[in-house]
Amino acid sequence: MTEGEVLHWIKELPLGAAVRESRWLFAMGETLHFIGLSLMVGGLLIVDLRLLGFIRSVPMRAALAFLPFVIVGFLINLATGIEFFVTDPFMYWPNPAFKLKLTLIMLAGLNAVVFMVLDHRHKLALTKDTGAYVKVAAGLSLSLWLCVLLLGRLLPAFEGSTSFF
Amino acid sequence: MEFLVWLEQTDFSVWLRESDWGHPIVLCFHAVGMGMVVGISLMYSARILGYAKDFPVSAFDWLFGLAWFGFAMNTVSGVLLFVGEPRRLMDTPAFWIKMILIVFAGLTLWVLGKALDAGPREVVRLAGSGGISSGEVIVSPNARVAAILSAVFWLGAIISGRLIGYTIAPPPL
Repeated sequence: MTEGEVLHWIKELPLGAAVRESRWLFAMGETLHFIGLSLMVGGLLIVDLRLLGFIRSVPMRAALAFLPFVIVGFLINLATGIEFFVTDPFMYWPNPAFKLKLTLIMLAGLNAVVFMVLDHRHKLALTKDTGAYVKVAAGLSLSLWLCVLLLGRLLPAFEGSTSFF
Repeated sequence: MEFLVWLEQTDFSVWLRESDWGHPIVLCFHAVGMGMVVGISLMYSARILGYAKDFPVSAFDWLFGLAWFGFAMNTVSGVLLFVGEPRRLMDTPAFWIKMILIVFAGLTLWVLGKALDAGPREVVRLAGSGGISSGEVIVSPNARVAAILSAVFWLGAIISGRLIGYTIAPPPL
């Protein structure tokens, strides 16, 4: 299948058709996308800023306890993001902001997975301070997710273009 | 109304509305500010309602600084969004509902933050007569109500804010 055929197949999925025909499904998805965004930002600020060495009065374990909000927020935004994509794949796919956003989400995910694989959560639960790697990972996490947020917001401005410049 | 017509015809308003980047950049700030103020408020509500009990409530004093920074960012970007299309917003019920919810959400955040500013004793008072036991604050029913209201106001503000985008603009001047 060519790229066009794949996009066409996606567009014909029942979910996309249902969202296009409904008056409210898309708006509800957008609203949930903002709520998921807020849950992610709130949780990430607490976790990453603590890892960076702010709010030291907070035990590391207590700060890491806010990670589930980040994960729930991400899952809400993944689901609603898929909803948006199937509604109009021909708008999203060539859009440079969309492509960069997807790339940065994967980098941010990789950053989080490496952090978990290295089992830093369990080691950190016992410490008061963090090493250089953890600080870099936390800084990367905040910067990558900030860029993801901004690219999402700028996505409509790049509708119809195929490159940034 | 005359003022709104004048405002909408200023060069700045036209630029915000019609330039390639004015509107998207203001919206970027509005989204980041929303994440900060709503995100931290929701985490605070979760803490008050019993989540992560070993997270010291007093640490939110510092986090509230970030939340207010986000609130200020959204006041400024929100005013700019209004300048861009004042007549449409004035005519949109969702806009007024959002403004009322923001005022209530801000007041709730202020009351909750005020209790933190007053020091640990005040936090315990807000938290109820149970006081601190093994580093854990026993939360009073009042604080729980405030935490739930705060979340409801913010979520309502997000919903009504999103609905503003689904109203039809009045004909151009």
